[in-house]
Amino acid sequence: MSEFADPYSERPFTLAVPDVELELLRKRLDLVRLPDELDGAAWHYGAARADVARLVAHWRGGFDWRAREAAINALPMFVRGVEVEGFGTLEVHYVHRRSGVEGAIPLLFVHGWPGSFLEARKLLPLLTAGSPEYPSFHVVAVSLPGFGFSEAPKKPGFAGPQYAEVFNKLMLALGYDEYVYQGGDWGHMIGVHAVHIYGHKHIKAWLTNLPIYRDPTLFTYPVYYLQKLALPITTRFNDRARIDYEKTKEWYKRGTGYYSEQATEPQTVGYSLADSPVGLLAWIYEKLVTWTDHYPWTDDEVLEWISVYWFSRAGPAAASRVYYEMTGGYAYEYWKGSERTSVPLGASYFPAELTRPPKQWLNMLGKVVFQSEHDRGGHFAAFEQPELLAGDLRKMFGKGGPAYGVVPGKDGYN
Amino acid sequence: MTNWAKPFTLAVPDADVDLLRAKLELATLPHELDGAGWKYGAPLADIQRLAEYWKSTFDWRKAERSINELPQFTTDIEVDGFGSLNIHFLHQKSEVENAIPLLFVHGWPGHFLEVRKMLPYLTAGSPDHPAFHVVAPSLPGFGFSEAPSKPGFAGPQYAETFNKLMVSLGYDEYVYQGGDLGHIVGIYVANLYGHKHLKGWLSNMPMYRVPTVFSNPLIFLKLLTYPFNKSLRDQLTVANRFRTGEMGYFMVQATVPQTLGYSLADSPVGLLAWIYEKLHKAVGNYPWTEDEVLEWISIYWFSRAGPGANVRMYYELTGGNSHDLFEGTRWTSVPLGFAWFPQEPVRFPRSWAYLLGKVVFESEHEAGGHFAAFEQPEALAGDLRKMFGRGGPAYGVVPGKDGYQV
Repeated sequence: MSEFADPYSERPFTLAVPDVELELLRKRLDLVRLPDELDGAAWHYGAARADVARLVAHWRGGFDWRAREAAINALPMFVRGVEVEGFGTLEVHYVHRRSGVEGAIPLLFVHGWPGSFLEARKLLPLLTAGSPEYPSFHVVAVSLPGFGFSEAPKKPGFAGPQYAEVFNKLMLALGYDEYVYQGGDWGHMIGVHAVHIYGHKHIKAWLTNLPIYRDPTLFTYPVYYLQKLALPITTRFNDRARIDYEKTKEWYKRGTGYYSEQATEPQTVGYSLADSPVGLLAWIYEKLVTWTDHYPWTDDEVLEWISVYWFSRAGPAAASRVYYEMTGGYAYEYWKGSERTSVPLGASYFPAELTRPPKQWLNMLGKVVFQSEHDRGGHFAAFEQPELLAGDLRKMFGKGGPAYGVVPGKDGYN
Repeated sequence: MTNWAKPFTLAVPDADVDLLRAKLELATLPHELDGAGWKYGAPLADIQRLAEYWKSTFDWRKAERSINELPQFTTDIEVDGFGSLNIHFLHQKSEVENAIPLLFVHGWPGHFLEVRKMLPYLTAGSPDHPAFHVVAPSLPGFGFSEAPSKPGFAGPQYAETFNKLMVSLGYDEYVYQGGDLGHIVGIYVANLYGHKHLKGWLSNMPMYRVPTVFSNPLIFLKLLTYPFNKSLRDQLTVANRFRTGEMGYFMVQATVPQTLGYSLADSPVGLLAWIYEKLHKAVGNYPWTEDEVLEWISIYWFSRAGPGANVRMYYELTGGNSHDLFEGTRWTSVPLGFAWFPQEPVRFPRSWAYLLGKVVFESEHEAGGHFAAFEQPEALAGDLRKMFGRGGPAYGVVPGKDGYQV
């Protein structure tokens, strides 16, 4: 890059993993040593050996990274420097697809872990399409700092406000002074901070597909608190509520190992993720299977997903740090420092989502103007059920919808 | 007395040693945040230094030769419902014929060699202190013991394995020392074989079931005074800090050990970091040398069942984190001792110790942590001598074997 080039200007981004990286990966895959497995373990103890072994074999043999890379490069991708107070300038990677509709609504899509910007891929044609029946969007899908092809912060303390600052500065740089937001996983959990800091002024409304927030306490929300205490009894009388309650309890008991480790010792697990392709594969693939609603993963889809982590700009270990930074090393919850706002909030409920607290509790987060309940789909909603999620965005922001026209002059129609 | 044990010589195949070196040559280390220190996990500088040493300087064959100076054996133990498991163990007899048979059980991420430095103290004969015949097995799935091949190998099975091991060696009655998971296994041995076979035991990890209003109403009531009771609050704060800040490994190993196993089996630096982090944090300023660390990690890397097998123990002991480590166990009157080391990270309030068993011995030390046998061998051996020696609270618990020359 020329020393005279402006680091803050937008540059097109072409993904081009060096040949030497591909060769190194192949050498490592050749030396793979797999663990044993208990008879009949299936998926009870983690990612099943037969599946992992098959994926490793495909990764060595049939998986064509260059073909996947070329397809990714068909997306309109860019990088630009974004200054973050106290952290210097970070080069941020994003997809930016504009709609043909001039007055389309600017939308920022934010992924989580172990996701990536590619989760927006299937949404792009749906969201940017123009029609008199539904609104259109200009879509920006950013790679979180430390993920995908965005640079990682170099110092400790990069948390909610810093991620939000990156998002807002990026949108402003693209000319989107006012915009809407969609996220799940960390996209939601960071969104909570983004909306708190930039809500109304810049973020006019948002839709989450991970509709969670804090637990009610006696002093903050006494009615919800009493409801919480009564859950073991009240859920007996409602099948759906009981399923949700059991699922949530099960999640906290048996599903949060990765969270606990990454929130306390991300560097320790990072050595494995950076050094072992099969270690990284298993760590992520286990979530791809257990967090989705019977999504029929192809081996190529899985390996492309893992490859984005393996070949990420900051390396595979960097992404795990978000858990530590957002929780102060597990000293507090991710939402600390945020507050309820009156920014219009929408919630998309997918049945296989990992934790499903009572819907009313979302009122603690914001002014809920839109809710939709689906009968299929899980944690990676944008990837698993793009039509449903895009449909929610269209309903929420379209004519007659509760957040129609929130961005002045950009209602999404011609 | 039947003893089918066969002598064991550790001899890692050349191909395995070569594979390790080949992987270390390709090792890629991650970046680290500026000034991270130990906050985010094992620091890059430490892992870099250790990985380099492992690749270029560490002499595994030399370590192996030294390990083979210790008397090691294997024997087949039939475990109900699990078939036969080939169990590796160290067995050092004392010259004192009536030495007390002692079963030493390691934990995670420990191994049978944790007993090594205590051997001279334990087996030495003297009129001033008792002597012990020492048996130190590798837990099934660890070190050089076979791993179980089916799900469900839990507390009772570990206890059964070791009780049968001792009985097969002619030690129908014995005493026990353990910490970490060795403490947990000890609870099961006391429950299932207490008095009949296990005559007394010493633990260096004070951990027991948290009192509830149903199990221990008086202590539970005392817990309600928690906000106002500084001493109890301090003790619980220590226990709590471990629970929230240090339990990542536990949660992963208790719920998705297979997922973790791919990393540990495939990446030497991954395994190194995962274990070394504990070696550093759980001790009382122990001055680890590179050789000590790498010998320790190598035993995991070259373990018979592979590095992915041992972490399954957390899943099996907790039913995949569906219950605690004490499932199915109760208070027993088997004489119990506790050795308190200041840097042991798992420290439950001392006043609850009697909830676990009949506490007849307690000792408090000025130095040492989680790996007490390795860090403070003289101190821990001293506790065993005091507890089981003449004038001690568990003297003569094994009939005819009081540990002294006749």
